Amino acid sequence: MNIDKFLANKEIVFIILLILGILVFSTLLFFIWGKMKPQANLTELKLRTKSWWGMAIVFILAAVINPLISYFAFGLLSFMALRELATISKNVREADRRVLIWCYIAIPIQYVLAYNGLFNLFVIFIPIVMFIWIPFMLVMRGETTEIGRSMSVLPTQLMLTVFSLSHLAFLLSLPEIAGFNAGGRGLLLFIVFITEINDVFQFTWGKLLGRHKIIPKISPNKTWEGFIGGILTTTIIGYFLRFLTPFSEIEALVVSFIVACAGFVGDVVVSAVKRDIGLKDTGTLIPGHGGILDRIDSLSITAVVFFHIVYNLYYC
Amino acid sequence: MHKTFLFILYSILMRNFLRVIVGIKYVNKEALKKSDPFIIVANHNSHVDAMALMSALSFSQLKKTHPVAAGDYFGKSPLKAFITRLFTNSLLIRRSKDADGANPIDMMSDALQKGDSLILFPEGSRGEPQKMQQFKKGIGIILQKNPKIAYIPVYMTGMGRILPKGETLLVPFDSYVIFGEPTFFTSRMLMQL
Repeated sequence: MNIDKFLANKEIVFIILLILGILVFSTLLFFIWGKMKPQANLTELKLRTKSWWGMAIVFILAAVINPLISYFAFGLLSFMALRELATISKNVREADRRVLIWCYIAIPIQYVLAYNGLFNLFVIFIPIVMFIWIPFMLVMRGETTEIGRSMSVLPTQLMLTVFSLSHLAFLLSLPEIAGFNAGGRGLLLFIVFITEINDVFQFTWGKLLGRHKIIPKISPNKTWEGFIGGILTTTIIGYFLRFLTPFSEIEALVVSFIVACAGFVGDVVVSAVKRDIGLKDTGTLIPGHGGILDRIDSLSITAVVFFHIVYNLYYC
Repeated sequence: MHKTFLFILYSILMRNFLRVIVGIKYVNKEALKKSDPFIIVANHNSHVDAMALMSALSFSQLKKTHPVAAGDYFGKSPLKAFITRLFTNSLLIRRSKDADGANPIDMMSDALQKGDSLILFPEGSRGEPQKMQQFKKGIGIILQKNPKIAYIPVYMTGMGRILPKGETLLVPFDSYVIFGEPTFFTSRMLMQL
């Protein structure tokens, strides 16, 4: 069993206990809140807590039983996100449904590359190989009307759901560095935690102080006050969580700041995609079924940005 | 034996495959528990439709529930009819008038009188992907003849993209199977029909 090794890693055990504590606290809070004020709409908050529980459980299982579980979990998450995006996208023609299979096939390949730590192939497989293969397959279908739109939409969907999330899995394949105990697992926890905290605080500061809207047409809830408050809070929290990373104090501040800005970018990009389709939440065709894209929107950008910063600083 | 086979096929294999890989989500599945027997009345776009509905059934309902299928398509040869009955527990009826043999309405009514449930696609065929067609009149006759048996309206969306008519490749898309509440047929509805 890996359990002794797992418990010996004090940094990871500490943050897992912290996350479980927050989860128990917020689950109880929303439960009591919902009981006391049944008219308050807590669906969104409850769904968020639920997906956090899922992530935490997968993470602990992967750490204690077998790291392979994480690769499967991220692969499945990529698959479900891509399926959701493909379903809601109105930019894809009926004739493209067969080409979509190639996008699905790219998922296991990308995750096998991540598992084996084949960095060079991993970074080029989707942005180069699939960006050539998918347009070619579209051409072979023989339907040229509006083919340009499909040529750009399908590979971009792969980038947003598969390329981005697979970087989280690749963090676990990074080699060990002497003197840095938390390792890839620590980096993974750091980036996921920082991204989610950033979401929460941008939302909270916006609710508390928000006056000046940034892009009212796309995201009416995004305000300068929420944005700046969120970034500052995230930067400070990132500074205190630097024990999960190999960063120096300055590096932790700068990286957390960049991640917080990247989170905003992911959030508004997915928002714009949704606006274009005419949906507010990606998966809420039926109430109570939250969309996966809404859970991972900011993560799809922060994961890539964070990974390449760490890689270039410490693993080259 | 057949019951166990159907259970493994639908409740274990098909249900998980449809949910995890294909992306089918069930809404208000509890409606099935409220009535027994029942007539499921659903829209039809794909071969996946019947699979998705059968996968929603419980162990005891599976053996007693028959999707009503076109005998002239699924029962072309005795072998094809046997395979269809084995795998989908179907009730095969004629769609055309002239051929002799049992009256399709009577066949369905007999099954209902025995205490069995039916899955009906009143559009009659799958049609074009994501488009609803005019209902056939048989559905009205069946409901009128069996007013004591509740029907459950089911709306399915997305199936026509997963496996449309004329396609052989199944492509995963998010799709929904939405169950309505069990309802009894009244003469007022017949006026509307």
